[in-house]
Formats: sequence, C-alpha cells, structure tokens
Amino acid sequence: MVTQDSKQTPQNKKTPSDNPTQIPENCNDNHNTMSMFSPRFKSVAAMAGWDEETLLSTLIVEDTPERILRDKKRSDLLVKSPPSSSRRKRRRSRPGSISIAVFNLDLDDESTDTSIKEAEKDKIDLPKKVEELPKDKEQENADAEVAVDCANSSALPCMDRLRDELSCAICLDICYEPSTTPCGHSFCKNCLKSAAEKCGKRCPKCRQLISNGRSCTINTVLWNTIQLLFPAVIESRKSAAASSSSTASDYRKKSSERMISTNNEASDNNNVRMTRRLRVSRRSEEASLSSRRGVPNQDEDAALALRLQREEFMEIYRGSTLARSNLRAMAQRAMNLDRNRVV
Amino acid sequence: MMMNSGSSSGGGGSSGGGRTSWPSTTSPSGKRIQKELKELDSHPPPLSSAGPIADSLNHWLATFLGPPGTPYEGGIFFLDILFPNEYPFKPPKVMFKTRIYHCNVDSSGNVNLDILKDGWSPALTISKVLLAIRSIFLNPDPYNALVPPIAHLYQVDRKRHDELAAAWTHRFAK
Repeated sequence: MVTQDSKQTPQNKKTPSDNPTQIPENCNDNHNTMSMFSPRFKSVAAMAGWDEETLLSTLIVEDTPERILRDKKRSDLLVKSPPSSSRRKRRRSRPGSISIAVFNLDLDDESTDTSIKEAEKDKIDLPKKVEELPKDKEQENADAEVAVDCANSSALPCMDRLRDELSCAICLDICYEPSTTPCGHSFCKNCLKSAAEKCGKRCPKCRQLISNGRSCTINTVLWNTIQLLFPAVIESRKSAAASSSSTASDYRKKSSERMISTNNEASDNNNVRMTRRLRVSRRSEEASLSSRRGVPNQDEDAALALRLQREEFMEIYRGSTLARSNLRAMAQRAMNLDRNRVV
Repeated sequence: MMMNSGSSSGGGGSSGGGRTSWPSTTSPSGKRIQKELKELDSHPPPLSSAGPIADSLNHWLATFLGPPGTPYEGGIFFLDILFPNEYPFKPPKVMFKTRIYHCNVDSSGNVNLDILKDGWSPALTISKVLLAIRSIFLNPDPYNALVPPIAHLYQVDRKRHDELAAAWTHRFAK
C-alpha cells in the first residue's frame, strides 16, 4: 500500500531526533489532527483496515515540506542549546504579530521630538501591516485586545509623551481624524476646518498659508496609528459622534427591518433553504464588516436580530402544517406592513 | 487710588486652590478650557497662576509676581481673563486689574499684545499667553505702546522710567 510506505518514511525520519521534549508535542499534534476526523470517518477507516497512525501519516505526508523544515530547525536548535530552552524559543516566536505589537513602546532615549515621532510611526506601522494580513474575525479581536493592553499599560513614561505628540493643538485632545497641513502640522480634521473658517487659512502652529483642498484629507497612517494606540479614547469619541447623528442609524435599522420582512415574504417551501443561506452569508458579512470597522453597534444588533429571527423561523418551520399556515399568516402580515410603509 | 476689588477678591480666589470638580461642559470651548486648567495645575508657569473665578469656567483670574531684576519686582499683579464662546478660535480678553506703569498697558488695564489680537492662533493656550505677558514685563515694547509718554521716557531716560515703575509697583501692587 502506498499509505503504508508513506507511513514509514516520516516515522523513520522522526526516530533519530527522538527526545523527551518532543514527545508531548507530538501527542498534541496527534490530538489535534485526530479531532479533524469525524468519528464516522474513523469507523469507516477502521473497517478498511487503516489504523489511526496510518491516517495520521497521510496527514503528515500532506504537510511534509513544512515538517522537514521544522525538524531541521529543531535539530539545529538542539545542537546549539539544551532542548528545554529551544522549546521556549519556538513557542515565543510563534505568535508573531502579537509579540511585535508589544515592543513598539520602548523609546526611552532622548532625541528630538520629530525624530521620535517618525521612528514611532515606522515602528507602529510595521505591526499593523503584519496584522492586517489575516482577516479573520478572531485575529482582529486578538489585535484589539493587544491594543487595549498597550493602552492599559500606560504606566510606561512614553505613553504620556505619545499622548502629547499625537494630540491636536486646537482641542488639546487626541487627534480625531487627523489632517496634516502642507507645513507638516496635524490637527483634527474638524478643528482645522473651523480654524480655517474663523481664523483665516493659516496653520495654527506656524502661520504658514494652507490651501483648501489638502486641509481636509485625513492622514490615514497617523489616524490608524492613533486608533491602535488609544482605542478607548477613540471609541468614546466615536460613540459621542454617533449619538449626535442618530438619524442615520435610525434609517439603517429601518432598512434592516425591511430586509427581514421581505425575507419572511419569500419564505415559501423551496425558497427557504436558499434564503437561509443568503441570510447567513449576509449575516457573516455584516459581522465581519462591523468587526472590521470596530464600532457600529447597530450593525451587530441588526445581525443579532437577524439571527434570532432566523432561529424563531426555523423552529416554526420544523413544526406541523399548522405551523406552516401560521407562517403564511406571518408572511402576509409582513407583506401588509411593508405595503403600508410604502404607501 | 485704584487698589481695587480685583486684588482683594483675587487674594481669596487664587490662594484658595480648592479646585475640585468644575461643572462638566460639553461645548468644545468648555472642554478645551478644562484641559488647559488641568495642564496649568500640573505644570504651572513660573511666577504666575491662573484659575476660574466662582462657577464660571469662562472667567479666570491670573496672578503675576513681578519678575526679579525689573522695577516690578515684589509686586503682585492681577489679571482678568475672559474666554469668548468661540474660544479657542477667538483670543481670550486679558485685562490688568492692578495698575502698572508700563508702556504696553493703559490705565484701564488693556494690554497691547499682538497674540491677543490679530496674532492669535487657536494653537495658543493660556499658559503661552501668560508667558507672553511675562516677557513684556521683562522687555517692554515701546514701538507698540498704548501709553506713548511712558514709551518715550523708556527710550529717553530708562533710569527715570524704572524709578517711576518701581514707585507704582510699591504703591499699587503690594
């Protein structure tokens, strides 16, 4: 059998580097990979005469190149240092982006402010790019947590200096949607706008003339940096801004309600599965959108409402024909509602 | 003569230091003034102090100690600071409550300072204004004088000018 052969090779490879530290790891791997198979598949495999090791070996064959690399690295480390420390090293190097996000706060040496700012920007930019690569929701949540941790550990002296550096000279708060003048000074977009309106088109810091067009673009690098460094402050200001313009969110809620009702309307037997799938995808879309944007609660609310609606609906649908007629009535009602709204 | 109410009420107000919590304001100017107050509390400028009078955040009183080495040495000068509603986009109004012999301060207390007029910028703060006022204590500007006779005397007979200024300080600011 081919699998038998392939089973042999990786195990042969493993035996020379066999050592006590490695054993628990492999056990872990076994556990993880075994959980990938469904019990049913396992039973079928048992019937076919494959034992778990065989199954595992097929998996190992699949990701052999990576394994070889790892084994190589491991053996290298083993040569250089005792096994326990090598393990620790590898573990530390694994979470990648997270560990990078921590070290962007060590600027204790004295130098000119501008150079600090530049260096800081560069440093912060790096982890951000790294973190943006995986777009999973979980990953983003983890990033948010890391950022919060950074903000919480404001015991660091440089945090205050960063706060000073990144605050707007007009409102004296952290720059909100910073806009940078041609002369290189950054202010909140709104602050700069009202300064230009009320005090003339000169930079509030150095009095150089500022042109109209450029004064209203957001410096995205700076803005992202600020959002990463001071998530709590930005959150509160965003929510304050959202509450002041609640009409927009109202409209959103309404439209999501309408979406639900139209979904009900279309819930005839055969369409059910399709609409459900659609809704699920839309829900996940919404969830990912809201998580990416970081704030809007109403999106999450809408998603939750959709989910509840769907669950309720599925419960009813699972019931008897009586329930089905019930559903019809519901759909009818929704249609009427919709019609009324249109009229 | 004009040892006015400003000094007596100011004595209580400035030395009180009972700054607990001011009514929270939601206006941008109020927020900014509160931030400036906090900043002044943590980093007070040299030889001066400032803070709100009574309940209003828009009305402050500042005190200055005459800088050593000038004829104003030993004097305590009180200034009224009024923040307009459009602050920081409009400059605060600063008035001397204590009389002073100075070519840039007239008899009703107006100060001739560029940054309090056309030269105002929203990036300036009260602590910077206090610093500017401190600098005209040290170096009067006879070319932008509000009281030309004093400016003239300052340029022609500096010694006499300093004697008069010291006499006024002793008379009004102690």
